[in-house]
Amino acid sequence: MIFANGKLLPDSARKTILDGLEAHLNAVRMAPPLEAEVVIAAVDALGKRLQSGEFAPLLSQFLPAGVTLDQLLPLLSREALEAKLSAELGPEPFASREFAKTTARTLPLGVLFHIAPGNMPGLPVYTALEGLLTGNINLVKLPHGDKGLSLAAFGALTEQEPRLAPYLYAFDLPSAQREDLEALAALADGLVVWGGDGAIASARTLAGPGCKLIEWGHRLSFAYVSGYEDEEAELSALACHIVETGQRLCSSCQVIFLDSSDWEAGAAFCRKLLSHLERAAAKRPGPGRGAMASLSGHTALLERIVDGRAEGEALFQGRGCAVILRPDRELELSPMEGNVLVKLLPQQELLPVLRRQKGRLQTAGLICAPGQREALTGRLLRAGLTRVTRAGSMSASFPGEAHDGEYPLRRYLRAADVER
Amino acid sequence: MLSRQRLFWRLRPYDLPGSDRAFLQACRDNCAYHIRRCPGYAKICKHLGFSPAQLKTIADLAKIPVLPTLFFKRRTLFSMSPQRMAMKVTSSGTSGKYSRIGFDWGCILAEAPMVINLGFRHHLVSPKPAHCVILGYKPHKSNHTGVTRTMFGLTHFSPPLSRTYALHMVDGSYVPDLDRVARALKRFERSHFPTRVIGFPSYLWFGLKRMEELGLRVKLPKDSRIILAGGWKQHSDQEVDKSTLYALVEKTLGIPEKNINELFGAVEHPVFYNTCERHHFHIPAYGRIIIRDPDTLEPLPMGKVGLINLISPLMCATPTLSVMTDDLGYLTPGEKCGCGIKTPYLTILGRVGMSGIQTCAAGASELLGKGEAF
Repeated sequence: MIFANGKLLPDSARKTILDGLEAHLNAVRMAPPLEAEVVIAAVDALGKRLQSGEFAPLLSQFLPAGVTLDQLLPLLSREALEAKLSAELGPEPFASREFAKTTARTLPLGVLFHIAPGNMPGLPVYTALEGLLTGNINLVKLPHGDKGLSLAAFGALTEQEPRLAPYLYAFDLPSAQREDLEALAALADGLVVWGGDGAIASARTLAGPGCKLIEWGHRLSFAYVSGYEDEEAELSALACHIVETGQRLCSSCQVIFLDSSDWEAGAAFCRKLLSHLERAAAKRPGPGRGAMASLSGHTALLERIVDGRAEGEALFQGRGCAVILRPDRELELSPMEGNVLVKLLPQQELLPVLRRQKGRLQTAGLICAPGQREALTGRLLRAGLTRVTRAGSMSASFPGEAHDGEYPLRRYLRAADVER
Repeated sequence: MLSRQRLFWRLRPYDLPGSDRAFLQACRDNCAYHIRRCPGYAKICKHLGFSPAQLKTIADLAKIPVLPTLFFKRRTLFSMSPQRMAMKVTSSGTSGKYSRIGFDWGCILAEAPMVINLGFRHHLVSPKPAHCVILGYKPHKSNHTGVTRTMFGLTHFSPPLSRTYALHMVDGSYVPDLDRVARALKRFERSHFPTRVIGFPSYLWFGLKRMEELGLRVKLPKDSRIILAGGWKQHSDQEVDKSTLYALVEKTLGIPEKNINELFGAVEHPVFYNTCERHHFHIPAYGRIIIRDPDTLEPLPMGKVGLINLISPLMCATPTLSVMTDDLGYLTPGEKCGCGIKTPYLTILGRVGMSGIQTCAAGASELLGKGEAF
């Protein structure tokens, strides 16, 4: 299906729409710009309707079993949107600024082409919303496997506020339709891509030199341990984080680096951590998550053996979890599902190791003595991390925080200087 | 490898104790073969401290290194050069990643008597020609999935008069054509020959629901059969229990429950599991099953729910001696079934959901087969 100008159309209409799209986009650009207030009011009203359960039957039809929009709902309120605007763009987001001879105005980038992957329901809507808030026209390539949630959401949004209709297009476009993807990219001022390395690499080949690339790629996160404030509480919080997120998130702990070069101390740490992990794993409901942990952990072990990487490591196998003490120092993806890697990395040697993952670094969960926290935080940030948190809250979201080191709304805007 | 042929040419397909010795010998030989021919497998056995000499009793089968099907999706291991293989087959790749498994000629030579033997035992073999309706993929040169080949193979249990497929290749992708199937069924109702409906249980269910909606009903000729294979795959969230499905089959197609066979197997473990007349998968002499603790992978006693570990010395081209699916299930003593087959039977409870994982950790979506493009 295609969503165009407030209407749902069959895929067969794609060629006709694409043929007329440029003229339509030009006409919208020439009209007075979309104001953030219009978007905020519409989203706020829609958020309230969502919260009241009005869309519950619709949602249950589109959402995968066990998945809710609980994390997304709080973002769909006036307070949250206004807070986002002021956090990212300052207290007067769209006000002009006077300079000696010129006035600086803030304008939307123009047309954004969003490529959203299917790894989080609601993400295609969220990325379009960021584009709308900044006054852009949004062309969204829906992920394969979006069963209609995004189309329904766009429908509800434009029904709530018809003035948004000319700013929203969504295409259920297979990635193989290269020609159509190129046509959409050619119309865009910015290409917003979410996803793994494969998606990012493909997007780079789509965007021509005149199209700005805005990439929200996948990231790696780790914990760094150099002493403790409260050892039991901190290790327990870290173990809970590892088990609860299944190490699936950008912000999930994949590797625990120890500020040490003593293998025996590493082994002692692993044994201690394993008991915390086992306690956290025992709280998982049903046999499914434990089975996933065992399958992932065992498969990853076999891969390391076949690749000749298992020599010299120590495996601490627990019930539904494992700690693997590795002799190397690289930041890498863990086997996930509660199978965490531990590596020795004295703080003086942090930088070269982390630089090898530049562009992928996200969160460091820092466990250390209080007196060391500031110095270690500085070291981690200089190495390229974009978040430093306490170990248990690596995946928590904090009000006003940036997205992978950037304020997205700023990237969807441009500054224009006008001589008086 | 004669020990393998000795096992698979045995005439009593459900005599487990009687086949134990032959099974163990074939496993020892198979394992030794893979260690000699497959460096990756040799490394795994060495690292885990296993050698074929440790296989002394049937309980020792649990010591054989277990390779999850997930592993075969990430690494391709062969124990023979691809030129010497009879064919290479892929799993259906529901999650976006699939296994590549090689089949050797000796494996095919061993499979043939097993399939015929069990085919007779479960009334699949018949000299009476039949029309075949396949609720699956029409074979195509670009399709290497094991399930497509299996379904095509299943049409040969009786001389096939015609083959009607539900999924056809159009412009490079498969599209369903259930109307064609419905028209064919209507035609076959008046035939002198029986019809065999072979396919995925999910498509059978969707097709029958559609026929019910349209008010279509047929009474297929006597001796018509339903043969189900391949499981519910990506439609597992819509899975219905067997009795509901069978009742709808009887109502819509006029095929009685006793004429419904279900099959179970995997590309990595192509042992021909059949349901008995009470719809249970009893373990045949050609395979063994160990249920493993989901948290520790240790073997569990009869009746406990865990991961399903399938063991068979069938393949030489790929080291699939002991594989583990991502299904949970349990075993029940054969006597409890009452069909007369004495071997324990397997109940499959469903996938643990590795394919449903959503992730944004760098590299993870590629690992799970979701990162090839957008």
